[in-house]
Amino acid sequence: MKVSFKLNGNPVEVEVPPNEILLDTLRLRLGVKGPKRGCERAECGTCTVLLDGKPVYSCNILTVQVDGSSVQTIEGIANDELGRRLAESFSKEGAVQCGFCTPGFVTTSYALVKSLHEVSDEQIKKYIEGNLCRCTGYKKIVDAIKNVISSQRK
Amino acid sequence: MYYRLPQFEYLRPNDLHQALETIREGDWKPLAGGTDLLLDMKNGRQSPKKIIDISRLSELRYVRTNDSRVLIGGGSRLQELLENVIVKEKLPLLSSAIYEMASWQIRNIATIAGNLCNASPAADSAPPLLVHGARVKLISSSGSRTVPLSEFFLGPRKTVLSNNELMGEIDVPLLEGYYYRYYKIGRRHAFTLSVVSMAIAVKIENGIFSDVRIAMGSVAPKPVRALNVEKELIGKEAKTVEITKAIDLVSEDISPISDVRASAEYRMKVTKFLLKESLQESLKYFWK
Amino acid sequence: MSSFDLERLMNKWLNAEEFYVVGKRIERADTLDKALGKAKFIEDYYTNDMLFIKQVTSRYPHARIASIDESEAKKVRGFVANFTARNIPGENQVGYSLPDQPLLAERKVRYVGEPVSLVVARDFEAAIEAANQIKISYEPLPHILDPLEAKSRVDVLIHEEAGSNIAFRTKARKGDVEKGFSESHVVIENVYRTSQQDHVYLETEAAIAIPGLEGKLTILSPSQHPHLTQRIVSRVLGLPASSIRVVVPYLGGGFGGKDDEGPLISAKAALVAYLTGRPAFIEYSREESFAIHPKREATVIRYKSGADTDGRLKAIEVEIVHDTGAYANRGPFILWRATMHASGPYFVPNAKVDGYCIYTNKVYQGSFRGFGNPSVQFAAESQMDLLAEKLGMDPLDIRLKNILTPGSTTITGQVLDTSVGVKEALESVASKAGWRDKWKTYSTYNGRFRKGIGIGVAWHGISTSRGVPDWSAGTVKIEPDGSVSVLVGIVEIGQGSPTSSHRQIVAEVLGAPLDMVHVYFGTTDAPDTGATHASRGTGVGAIGVYVASIELRERLNSFAAKLLNTEPEDVVIHDGIVSSRRDPSKSIGWKEFIKKAYNSGVNTTASGYFFLPKGKFDDEAGQGFAYISYSYMVVISEVEVDTETGIIKVLRVYPAISAGKIINPIQVEGQIEGGFVQGMGLALMEELKFNEKGEIMNRDLTDYVIPTSLDAPEIEKPIFIEDRFKYGPLGAKGVGEMALIPAPASIANAVSHAIGKRVTELALTPEKVLKLLEKG
Repeated sequence: MKVSFKLNGNPVEVEVPPNEILLDTLRLRLGVKGPKRGCERAECGTCTVLLDGKPVYSCNILTVQVDGSSVQTIEGIANDELGRRLAESFSKEGAVQCGFCTPGFVTTSYALVKSLHEVSDEQIKKYIEGNLCRCTGYKKIVDAIKNVISSQRK
Repeated sequence: MYYRLPQFEYLRPNDLHQALETIREGDWKPLAGGTDLLLDMKNGRQSPKKIIDISRLSELRYVRTNDSRVLIGGGSRLQELLENVIVKEKLPLLSSAIYEMASWQIRNIATIAGNLCNASPAADSAPPLLVHGARVKLISSSGSRTVPLSEFFLGPRKTVLSNNELMGEIDVPLLEGYYYRYYKIGRRHAFTLSVVSMAIAVKIENGIFSDVRIAMGSVAPKPVRALNVEKELIGKEAKTVEITKAIDLVSEDISPISDVRASAEYRMKVTKFLLKESLQESLKYFWK
Repeated sequence: MSSFDLERLMNKWLNAEEFYVVGKRIERADTLDKALGKAKFIEDYYTNDMLFIKQVTSRYPHARIASIDESEAKKVRGFVANFTARNIPGENQVGYSLPDQPLLAERKVRYVGEPVSLVVARDFEAAIEAANQIKISYEPLPHILDPLEAKSRVDVLIHEEAGSNIAFRTKARKGDVEKGFSESHVVIENVYRTSQQDHVYLETEAAIAIPGLEGKLTILSPSQHPHLTQRIVSRVLGLPASSIRVVVPYLGGGFGGKDDEGPLISAKAALVAYLTGRPAFIEYSREESFAIHPKREATVIRYKSGADTDGRLKAIEVEIVHDTGAYANRGPFILWRATMHASGPYFVPNAKVDGYCIYTNKVYQGSFRGFGNPSVQFAAESQMDLLAEKLGMDPLDIRLKNILTPGSTTITGQVLDTSVGVKEALESVASKAGWRDKWKTYSTYNGRFRKGIGIGVAWHGISTSRGVPDWSAGTVKIEPDGSVSVLVGIVEIGQGSPTSSHRQIVAEVLGAPLDMVHVYFGTTDAPDTGATHASRGTGVGAIGVYVASIELRERLNSFAAKLLNTEPEDVVIHDGIVSSRRDPSKSIGWKEFIKKAYNSGVNTTASGYFFLPKGKFDDEAGQGFAYISYSYMVVISEVEVDTETGIIKVLRVYPAISAGKIINPIQVEGQIEGGFVQGMGLALMEELKFNEKGEIMNRDLTDYVIPTSLDAPEIEKPIFIEDRFKYGPLGAKGVGEMALIPAPASIANAVSHAIGKRVTELALTPEKVLKLLEKG
C-alpha cells in the first residue's frame, strides 16, 4: 500500500505491506535508525517516536496507520533547538550511559517539555514511565529534563 | 526484527457509515488503536485476515455530558479522556483508572472501546464503568442496541459484540453524592498489568448504606461487580460490624486464579483488605 | 622503562594531589551523539544484503536429539541452509571453565531454549518461516529443576561424563569453627534463597559477520572481551585467531550478560559467514534473549554465625549452593568469588565455607554484575542484623566492631594492604543518613505503613582471583597535530571507561587538553586489555594507557626541559600549557610543543603494559591469596512497607564507596545509581519463574518486571572515600558492580526492620511480605 506522511517535516511516500510496523519502515526502509528495537512489544520505550506531536511506540503501530500524519523521530528532534538543548542536558547531566534507551527518552521528554512548562519531579517520572532504562537508575534523566524545563521558564 | 505479523487485508474507511457497511459482511477485525491487537497478532493469539482501521473515525471521538450522564465516544483515546475536564470532574474513578493504565505512549493510541472490546480480565477501564452501571451502544449498519457493560463481557476475551458491530458509545450515568475510591495493585509502581484493580462508590444516608457499588478486575474471568457484598450492605447500618460481615461474601463474587503475576490467595487477601479499607473510609467520609 | 622506574613513577602519580581533569565532572565523549540518536548500535549496521540467521531451539528441558528434518524448510523461498553441530569445522566445544558446553546442541539438549540449529535465509521473513519448518524429534529424558534435588541424585545426570550433578566445589578454611562457636555467646543459623535474574540490557544480542574483509573474517560483536571472542570463534571455525577480527561498537548494556553470550552469538554469525561466504546477521528477540542467554544464578545459602557478648564475630560456617543450570560456564569462578567473600567485609577468626555449583535442566547461569557476591552479602548482612538483635546492639555498632581495616586478615588468611576505607565509609554514611535516630524511631512505628532502615556493606575483590593472570595493556600516540590517539581493548557498554575515565587519565598524565584525547576501543586491533567486566574497565583496564602515558610524559618532560632550559622535574604540563616551575613566564603551547617534538626526534608513541602481581591459593587447604585488593560499598536504604498489601517502596538511599581515586564523579554516581536500582530489582521484583516443563513463564517485559522511573528511590549523593590502590591508575579501584552488591542486603534489612520479621528469600514480592507477616 502507498503511505504518505511527514517525516521530520519532510513529506515521504512509501510502498509497504499492511503488516509492516512503523519501526521497520523507519529503520529498514527509510534508514532512520534513531528509534531503537528493544522488545517490539510496547514494553520498553526505545522505539518511541512522535505521532502528530504525541509519543507512541513505533514498534506497535502499523505504518499504514500513520498515513497523512506527521512523524517525528530523534533525528528531527535533534535538529530542533529545544530538542538539541534536551540532548545536551542529557549528556551533561550524565543521563546517558549505554545510550540505547536515550533516543526514546529524549523523544518522550521533548513532547513533555513542549507541552508542559511546570512539572514536579513526580510528574516527570510519570510521563517517562513508559521508557525503561537499565543503566542510570533514572535519577540523572529526571534531572536532565528538569533542567530544561526550568531554563525554559526563565 | 523479532516478530512477523501475519498478512492481512487492510482497509481504512472514510467515515462511520462506510465502516459499518464494510463490516456487514466478511470477517473484519476492527483496529481501534491496535495496541492490544498487534501484540496478539505477534504472539499468535489472533490472526485476522481482514483488518478495518477505525482509529481515524472522528465520529467516535467525543465526550459529552448532561445533568445525568456522560457519553463517551468509543474511539476516544485514553490520554484524551485523561486530559478531558468532564471526565476529570464527573468521573473521578475512570480518570484515576486511566491515569494508572499502561504508559503515555500507549494511552496516546489505545481507545476506551478497544480496552473494553479486548475483554481482558485485567481491563482497567472496566471496573469504574461497571460501578457507574455504564451501558455500551453497539452499532451496526442496521441500527444499534444498548447493552449494560455488566452483560457485555462473557469471559476472557469474549464479549457479546457481533462481527458486524462496533462499540460506538459508552453511556455513563452520573452518581451524585458518593464516596469514590479506585485501587490498582500491580507488581511495580507504574506501567504494569493489574494484579487486582477495584473501583468503589458508596453512599450513606441517615447512617444507612443507601448504595454500595463495587467492581473489580483481574480476580475473575472478566471484570465483575461484587453483587453479593453490595446486596449485603445496602440498607444496613453504616458500621464496621456490617462491613466485616459483608466483605467475606466477596468470595462468592470473584474467582481469582494463580498465575505468573500472583497467587489466587494473594488476590483474595488483598481484595478483602481493599474492600475493608475503602468501606471504612466511606464511613469517615460521610461522618464529616 | 625498567620495572623499578615504572614502580617509582607509578608511585609518584599515585600520590599526586593536584588534578586539572581527573576528579572533575567531565562530560563523556559518547553521550551527546547517543542523545542525538547518532550513535550506532549493532542492528544499525544491518543491510538487507546480509543473510539472516534464526535459531531453532529446544522445547525440552532434557532430551536426546533423535533426528533433525529440514525437508520442509528447504521448500521455503529464500531458504539458504540449516547448520547444526555437524557443520562446525572446528570444535563445537565452547564451555568457559569446563569442557561441557556445545555451541549447538549435539546428541542431547539440556534446557528449554538451547540452540540446536541455525537456519539461514535471504531475509528475516524467510528465516522465521524456515525455522518454523525445521522438525526436530526428541526422546525426552527425566529432568531436574531443583538444585538441591539435583545435588543428591545420581540416577538422572545432566552431564553423564561428570558422574554427578555437582559441577564444581570450592572451600575456604580458617581456624577452628567448632572452637569459635563454643566461644560464642549467640549463634544464628538461617537459609537464604535468591532467584535467577535476567540482565535486561535494552539492546538484545545481535552480531554481524563479514567474510574476507581485508583478508579477515570481521565480526561486529556484542562482546565484553574482543580477544576472548576472537579465541572462541577461532576454535569453532578451526581458523587461526589472526584471521579473525572483532570490533565491538557501542553496546546497549552488558552487565556481564554479553561477556558470556557475546562470543557465542559471534561464533554463530561467523560460522554462517564462513560456510556461506556471505555477510550474515543474527539478532535475538527479547523472548529469545530471555530463553537463551545465561542468567544470574539462583542460590541457596545456609549460614551459621556466632559472636561473643561484645558482638565480636567468632565463627562462620557457610554452605553455598549455586544453581548453574545446564552448563558450568563461569559457575566455578562465580562460586569461587562467593566463597571468598562469604564473611562480608568483616574480620572472622574461624571460618568454614563450602560451595557447590550444581547442574539443573534450566537456562544456565553466567556473569552478572556482582558475580556471585550479592546473594552471599545478603546472607552475611542479614546475619549481622540478627546477631545484633540477639545481643541488643545497634546494627551499626556490631558492624563497626568487626569491620575490616588496613592490615586485617581475611578468611583465607590474606593480609589486606592500606587501601581499606570501608570503616570510614560506614561511619560517614551512617552519620549522613541519621542512622541512629531513624533506627530507633522507625522501630516504634506500628501502623499499617511501617518504615524501616537497613544497612548493606559489601566488599568485592578487584581483578581476577587467585593466581589467574590479569594484565592491562594499551597504546598511546601523540599525533603531529597534537591530538592524542589511545588504543585500548576495553569496550563501551555504557560504563564510560574508554569514553571518559581513560581520556581523563591520559590527558592528566600527559598534560594534554582533554578534548584532544580520543580513545579507540573495543577491538582486537588494540592490545588485549582483558575483559570489560569485574569492575575493571577503569581500575585495571586503564593501567595500560596510564603506564604508556607516564612513559610518554617522561619523554615530554626531558624534551621540554631542553626547550625551556630547565630540569625535567621542573617541567609543568597543564591543560596544554608547557612551562617551567622555576620560571613560569617561559611557556609553550601544546600544539607548538608537539610539532617541535616531531621535528626533534622525540618518540611520541608508547605502549603500556602491566601484569598484576598475584599470590597463590591452596585449593586443598582453602587458604591463600584471593584478590589483589578490594573495593568497598555501603548503602543505607529506607523503605516503607504497606503491611496490608505487602507493597514495598524504597524511599531513600545513602551510598558511600571506597574505590580509590574517583576519576569522574558523574560516571561513578551513574554507576552507583544504576547499580542500586538493578539490585533493587533483584531484591523486590525480578525473578525468572519456571514451570514444571522447565520453560520460563515470564520471558517478556510484561511479566518479567524491572524497575521504572516511579520505582526508583531518591538516591543521595554518594560519599567517596578515596583509599588509593597502589597499582590502580592514579589509585583507582573498581566501581561498576559495587552498588548492586549490598543493595539487596540493605533493602532486606530495612524491610525486616520495618515489619519485625526476618527476610530470607528474594525476590521480596508483596506476596512474600504478607506471608512473613502471617508468621507467628
